[in-house]
Amino acid sequence: MKERLDLGRAMREALPAYEASSSLQAWALEEARKFDLQSLPQPEPLSHPLRSRGWRLSHWPIAASLVIAVAAGWGAGVLWPGSRITSVTNATTSELVDAHVRSLLPGHLVDVESSDRHTVKPWFAGKTDIAPTVIDLSDKGFPLLGGRLDYVNGHTAAVLTYRRRGHTINLFIWRTSPDEPGDGSFAVRGYSLLHWSTAGLGLWAVSDAALSELEAFQRAYMQ
Amino acid sequence: MSHVGEQVEVGHGGSPGVGRFESVVLPHLSAGFTLAMYLTGNKADAEDAVQEAILRAVRYFSTLRDEDARAWFLTIVRRVCFTAYRTDRPQGTDMMSIDAAGPQLVDHRDQPDVAAERMQVQQRVRAAVDQLPPLLRETVVLRELQSCSYAEVAAVTEVPIGTVMSRLSRARARLAVLLNDVVDFGDVA
Repeated sequence: MKERLDLGRAMREALPAYEASSSLQAWALEEARKFDLQSLPQPEPLSHPLRSRGWRLSHWPIAASLVIAVAAGWGAGVLWPGSRITSVTNATTSELVDAHVRSLLPGHLVDVESSDRHTVKPWFAGKTDIAPTVIDLSDKGFPLLGGRLDYVNGHTAAVLTYRRRGHTINLFIWRTSPDEPGDGSFAVRGYSLLHWSTAGLGLWAVSDAALSELEAFQRAYMQ
Repeated sequence: MSHVGEQVEVGHGGSPGVGRFESVVLPHLSAGFTLAMYLTGNKADAEDAVQEAILRAVRYFSTLRDEDARAWFLTIVRRVCFTAYRTDRPQGTDMMSIDAAGPQLVDHRDQPDVAAERMQVQQRVRAAVDQLPPLLRETVVLRELQSCSYAEVAAVTEVPIGTVMSRLSRARARLAVLLNDVVDFGDVA
């Protein structure tokens, strides 16, 4: 009679410990990060020291000058062209159009070519710090061509590429930062851009298709 | 003793840049999936169950106080499986088929007949575990396959340790009837 295994060893040899699929892992990571991001402590509000006991009268001039400085900065942002917010928008949209045009050069469109979201989504895992929603929208007229990484105005972007009746739509996705331009549409050098934010992510759809097509795309993607 | 404020403070003691839920719960994703596979018997239900368990875990994360996140997450997975999915699966479900069973531990230095015999033993062990009633099966899977402590098994299956012990011994006794010639059951058989 041969040597017999004990039950634990026999079970470990016979029964597989299953690995969660990469798409499930990517999804869970996205949920986890979404949750963790939300539960980060909010930055201390400016008024917070007022509530603490160490606040003294001598601090008031500093606070007052801060208020004036903030107000002045805000006024500048609204009134003066070339202010910081406007220039961030200009730089971002201009770089997005550059990236879009570059992607149309032969061999640049996608790094992972697939209409299968289970192929595209895991491809991003480990390459970016975000796990973008990857969906094929063929049934809504926007077939998924694939994905790639890009670098736009200081952001590492996950890019999903879709087709719309002969037009290419690049959807750039990155983690939003405080100086992000607000949601809206832009027209730069004949290209349309549509920007929106959701769950801590900023999304930019860029195409030579009409803006109305991008809006239809946005509705399809966000459904 | 736990304080309400504890959650927030502990939350940022982990590695920088990695959120608490990600670092505490996600490492147990595959353990949860393995348990769900053995409870639901197929990949689609197991994936759905784990997905639902993650959503619940997010919702109830603030109730996690002690350090045993694995037992906590497995408990959620198990509850989802028992409430949402049939756990007495029909025979011949895909998890037990050879190709779904994952890599076989066959030492290729073995002679062909030895390798074949090991495969045969592994198939018999799988079939025997598959025949166990769900409560005995999950107990033995948690203990022997996932190497949970008795206390962890008790926490996950929500019964006293004494019940875990008796379920384990009943599971072993049933398995011994089927596998005594190939598996050493010590003095139980």
